[in-house]
Amino acid sequence: MNYHILKKSELDWFIKKLSRKMKVCAPVAKGHGSFAFKEVKSAGEIALSYIPTILPPKKYFMPPREKLLDFDLSGGKPSDTAYLEAVKTALFGVHTCDLAGIQCLNMVFAERPRDYNYLLRKESIFIIGLECNAYCDGYASCALVGNHNPNGGYDLFFTDLGDRFILHVGTQKGEELAEGLGLARAVPADMVALAGVRETKKAVFRNEIGVGLRNLPGILAGSVDSEVWKDLGERCVSCGNCTNVCPTCYCFDMADTINLDMKTGSRNRSWDSCQFESFAAVAGGENFRAERAERQRHRFYRKFKYPLNKFYRSFCTGCGRCTRTCMAKISLKDTLKALAAG
Amino acid sequence: MKTEKEPAKASAKPKVAFFDFACCEGCQLQVANIGEALLDVLGAIDVVEFREVMSEKYDKAYDIAIIEGSITDFHAEERLKAIRARSKVLIAYGACAAIGGVNGMKNSFDLDEIRASVYGSDYHLFDSTPTRPVHQVVKVDYTVNGCPIYPPELIEVLKHALRGLPYTVPDKPVCSECKLNENVCMYERGVSCLGPWTKAGCNSWCVNNGNICYGCRGEVKNPAKAAASDIISKYNLKPELIKGKFDMYNKCKEGDNNGDHK
Repeated sequence: MNYHILKKSELDWFIKKLSRKMKVCAPVAKGHGSFAFKEVKSAGEIALSYIPTILPPKKYFMPPREKLLDFDLSGGKPSDTAYLEAVKTALFGVHTCDLAGIQCLNMVFAERPRDYNYLLRKESIFIIGLECNAYCDGYASCALVGNHNPNGGYDLFFTDLGDRFILHVGTQKGEELAEGLGLARAVPADMVALAGVRETKKAVFRNEIGVGLRNLPGILAGSVDSEVWKDLGERCVSCGNCTNVCPTCYCFDMADTINLDMKTGSRNRSWDSCQFESFAAVAGGENFRAERAERQRHRFYRKFKYPLNKFYRSFCTGCGRCTRTCMAKISLKDTLKALAAG
Repeated sequence: MKTEKEPAKASAKPKVAFFDFACCEGCQLQVANIGEALLDVLGAIDVVEFREVMSEKYDKAYDIAIIEGSITDFHAEERLKAIRARSKVLIAYGACAAIGGVNGMKNSFDLDEIRASVYGSDYHLFDSTPTRPVHQVVKVDYTVNGCPIYPPELIEVLKHALRGLPYTVPDKPVCSECKLNENVCMYERGVSCLGPWTKAGCNSWCVNNGNICYGCRGEVKNPAKAAASDIISKYNLKPELIKGKFDMYNKCKEGDNNGDHK
């Protein structure tokens, strides 16, 4: 695929052109050092330099609250109609950690039984990535999982070259947009500049915990009874912030709601969290993870052990959101380091 | 024969009565202000008593009694027990009825002292007891938390009651909903908030509108006791500040046996 060039002075023109075709969502400053993906109409609203948003872009792929079907009990036999809300959307400025998160969700929801709401909605979303030339802050651990550089998962990918962006085309849709807007092709000097950015990054982005990703499943397997979990359990609030903000946590709960006519209603799902005490509670009063320590351990296993065995990739994207949002100061990097130290 | 009976049965809508005890009647106001959904509510039930919006009284059994307010004297206790005896289903709604609410602050003081402060030297002429939420006096079938109630939750509970299904009050902190609404955390704004210990279900209504969580929905069943010290140290707060804020709505919790409250 090709490389194109967009001058920074043309970014506003680009966003406005794009927003005529579809809804454009990008990171926007919310104050107090926080950012969120929101709809924008111009480049001026976008925070090009931002730490990971409060919620990752997964909110566009699997909305926090989503209607799946309408049902009607008034006839002799209950009837239902599938429901899908999918607005054609472009996500602009998605960092490589979040691109990796979307790739993880794609794998999970494409598994059988397929999740058609997710898979169909995904088709309506155009993804424009944005490279991080330096760390966003000290919470990130993207180099540990190799997500500091782009590994696909985008239609177009922007890298900042000072006065201009170099755009890598990832898909046919991306190529059509770049060609349609008449963006100039990159010249050899641009490619040299891009290689320079990547070379500089090699020195900046280093494995943040000093332990290889491949060693983590083994370390976790050997730490089932570690005191580290006890310590986390004592500190955890069980608020679910860490899983809600995680780009790869996809667990949800489903519930049917009936309307006041007592005949029609809908089936809805909303994000759930393995950190809630009710999550693993089952009929009969048993709870498979009644203790906070067990639930925290489960979270780490679900990022660094189970998915490495099943999908051959880490389900931690290194974005650092769980540590950033934790009110009780539970740190992902410190926890992994403590486990590795045994 | 069956087809003839059905229309008559459909028209006999459940008889629902609203009552208030010690409260500001703000939850009744919330019900009256539901807006368009009120028409759907009135299509599903027959309101037979509701002091704030109608003057009629009803002398038969209630299918559903909806109780606002906390119980603060013997007279109220007797009246509540009489209502319970006439009701098939009883719903406690609003913080005062559900957890005692702000009226519970009375329980922080010696009863005679607080009576004297309110009624003066002849306070013994005025009946008074420590504040209790409804479930500490009679059996409660459904609870709608909040000060005031969050109208969508009242409608949800009402639908469950009409269908005879149990309603589960979420037992997770307000943070879980607040995060989904992508609010900047109040602690990041430098303000302490009771969200981490308070039951969700309000869709973080207050924080969405720029306010903190005051804990009006009551504490989650298993609050993070040890975690509080981490939070307090991370944000440089005083433990008494959090405790004081908590007592504003949650003082009556001390009267619960082993947290059996819904």
